[in-house]
Amino acid sequence: MKSKILLLLTSLASLLVLSGCGPAMVTKGTAFPKMYEEQPRSILILPPMNNSTDAQAKDYYMTTVEMPFALMGYYTFPTEMVSDIMKQEGVYDTEILYNMPLSKFKEYFGADTVLFTTINKWDVSYAVIASSLTVSISSKIVSTTTNEVLWRYTGTVVVDLSGGNSGGSLAGLLVKAIATAINTAAADYVKYAKVANARLIYTLPAGPYSPMYMKDQDIELVQQGKRH
Amino acid sequence: MVKNIILISAAAMTFVLSGCSSKEPLYNYGDYSQEYYNYKKNMSPETQLELQKAIEQAIEDADDGSSDRVAPGMYANLGYIYLKTGNTKMAKQNFIKEKTLYPEATHFMDRLIQKIDALEGDTDEK
Repeated sequence: MKSKILLLLTSLASLLVLSGCGPAMVTKGTAFPKMYEEQPRSILILPPMNNSTDAQAKDYYMTTVEMPFALMGYYTFPTEMVSDIMKQEGVYDTEILYNMPLSKFKEYFGADTVLFTTINKWDVSYAVIASSLTVSISSKIVSTTTNEVLWRYTGTVVVDLSGGNSGGSLAGLLVKAIATAINTAAADYVKYAKVANARLIYTLPAGPYSPMYMKDQDIELVQQGKRH
Repeated sequence: MVKNIILISAAAMTFVLSGCSSKEPLYNYGDYSQEYYNYKKNMSPETQLELQKAIEQAIEDADDGSSDRVAPGMYANLGYIYLKTGNTKMAKQNFIKEKTLYPEATHFMDRLIQKIDALEGDTDEK
């Protein structure tokens, strides 16, 4: 009896997850035409503004954010070196960094674009079976040449902490699920942050090192809410 | 029994969710982000060494990624660790590798190499 209810609940949950693909669609080409016009090759990732209650969110974000953007085919400047150099230049404060003329980033690093991010929420909720990480983020990629916003994302992803990686055997997944449910070690959050970051940028047009470069204009995305 | 069902449906969900990303990623990063995070949490010669090892391993296993190419920033990060530990020769070598592999980094790497040369020029004069 109990098992039937659980089965129902989990199938309902999966249905909910799957039905996320339902709403209004828009192609990448229509959503972000300037990415295809300007064809930037590199992204300089700045430290995020952290408005979440989790003081560690910034580090989780910074140590995992390079990867998904690089995997989308862009050259990403190494975040550690960039932030050290900015500090050497006397810029410690993210707010000051965010208000610098964009041409500075081109001048100093040779960056085509800059990525700005605000973390609004970074919450981990614990439960025996379904622990989850909720990340709410607004990001934008801005051209250092034209000062125009080429891509932006505002949204929330919920990462199921029992399924971080796509690889591994069925047995491996089962073990992982058990391990996660029983005890989620702090170290694992880096992995989940990686998953969250990867989900956040799925709307980004592919960059020059991707086999999909300039071939993904017709890929459909869920249309984001109205924005100004 | 109940446990089994939960596990199986959890596994099924994971499979469904991971269906979108079954392709091999472009680059192999190995343990880079985990070690990078550990290093950020606790900056010490030990965590720096672990990070260095993770980067070197990721470079060695670059062919695990679908592009067979070392990921952006890897050589630069390795060079930066060498720079911090005073090995300017290896630092420069890695900065050159970074810009050779990724011309997008040329401006930045050249700037760093110039800085190293300037510093070394100073010490030579003494």
